[in-house]
Amino acid sequence: MSAAPAAGAAAPARITLEGVAKRFVTARTSVDALGPLSLAAAEGEFVVLVGPSGCGKTTLLNLVAGFETPSAGRVLVDGAAVAGPGPDRAMIFQEPALFPWLTVLDNVAFGLRQHAHMAAAARREVAHEYLRLVHLDGFERAFVHELSGGMKQRAALARALAPQPRALLCDEPFGSLDALTRERLYAELQELHAVTRRTTLFVTHNTREAACLADRVVVLSARPARITSVLPVVLPRPRDFYDPHVSELAREILARLRGPAIGDGRDA
Amino acid sequence: MRDAGTARRRPLVLLAFLLALLLAWQAVWSLGWLPSYSLPSPAQVGTRLVELARDGTLWPSVQASVVRMALGFVLSLALGLALGVAMGLSQTADSCLRSLFLGVQTLPSAAWVPIALLLFGLNDAAIYFVIVMSSTAAMAIATADAIVHIPPVYLRAARCLGTAGPALATRVALPAALPGVVTGVKLGWTLGWHGVVSAELIKSSVGLGYLLHAGRELNDAAQVVGVMLVTIALGLVLDRLLFASIERRVRARWGFAPGAARG
Repeated sequence: MSAAPAAGAAAPARITLEGVAKRFVTARTSVDALGPLSLAAAEGEFVVLVGPSGCGKTTLLNLVAGFETPSAGRVLVDGAAVAGPGPDRAMIFQEPALFPWLTVLDNVAFGLRQHAHMAAAARREVAHEYLRLVHLDGFERAFVHELSGGMKQRAALARALAPQPRALLCDEPFGSLDALTRERLYAELQELHAVTRRTTLFVTHNTREAACLADRVVVLSARPARITSVLPVVLPRPRDFYDPHVSELAREILARLRGPAIGDGRDA
Repeated sequence: MRDAGTARRRPLVLLAFLLALLLAWQAVWSLGWLPSYSLPSPAQVGTRLVELARDGTLWPSVQASVVRMALGFVLSLALGLALGVAMGLSQTADSCLRSLFLGVQTLPSAAWVPIALLLFGLNDAAIYFVIVMSSTAAMAIATADAIVHIPPVYLRAARCLGTAGPALATRVALPAALPGVVTGVKLGWTLGWHGVVSAELIKSSVGLGYLLHAGRELNDAAQVVGVMLVTIALGLVLDRLLFASIERRVRARWGFAPGAARG
């Protein structure tokens, strides 16, 4: 894997879930959180997973990230089983999770440390580049508490993308932002994806968000999450949040979320 | 609500309060309820302090106590942080040390002095020992708690960014725990200061504790009260100047203080 700063130098990953299930067992109870389900995200694909609150969407991302291990089935990245968290799979969390003891620039440069041969100056240069990409140039020396919610998530995006992960896992990253900020970030995330082409798994319960961002929408059932339907999205990009086709698709997703669990026969 | 006006008035309010305390002290003395050898007047204390400063008794003692404290504290800090990190990261270390440290913490500083003298004899090593035993446990427990309560999302984010092993401790866990650690270190400083003065009370020929002891031996109440005031003032100044400002800055940057968002 190259450490060259140019975007898209590392190939995006292919993510496969084969019959994956997760059951949480404690002393007093056991909870089926997920599956079994199978799913594949192609190289560079933007897959949005939509499901009701508490359905196990986050568990699914945690399995791919390597924070949890599946109770059954396999999680594969390019055919190799996931053995734990690693820099090939970046994650964006609900809260920005930026490090408050570092400046914005040092946050974005944080993941570049893994490239041992990269000089400090080169790391800073790459971090600058990614800050420009998320329109945060000028805030390099700011500390996290000085940023607004939207700026924090932009910085978190830059930090995740700077080390050139091969996949990006997003766990409702815009959930706690105000509507205006969120809508701007939809446009920016689409731009970023067009440039970086990271394979992306994006979890949300917002159907319009799903319609706006996805190459493919995967609708999940209530816990334990199973795939109830899959909708490929062929609308041209960049998509406007208020585009009537996006609205129409969002309604369709909502109908499938609400309706009885209807498989549409397509392979996930 | 507090506003800018009350903030500006705060030093004045404090000054007025201290003045009132001084007046009350003077009044109690003037009423003559207590014999003059047990309660000196503010003026007597002031005069005695000036004498102690003039005849070269006070400054070497202040210096001795502060230097002992600084050395003992550095030792204690290093030990406390190392043990605290170990406890924070290892369940085994925590199980072994936590109850022990909580127990040790219940001992007053002065209770360490006899064993310190037996172990180290009549020298400064005994004083350092008392400082370390007084303050290390509190700092270790605070550090361990701060590490245990790190938001897990910081560690997850770091692991996704390729951080593992010792780097996870030094580059993420420790800085993430800093606000709690700073609070523990501040407490440790106060406890260590107790330790220095306690140890000097019993064994020393110079130092604030020694001056207190000497004052009692000579039935010099003015010296005793004067040196107590100096000890309080020094402790307060070091706490305010050193630790309070660090703590405030850290808490603000870590997002514990409101009103800093730009957005």
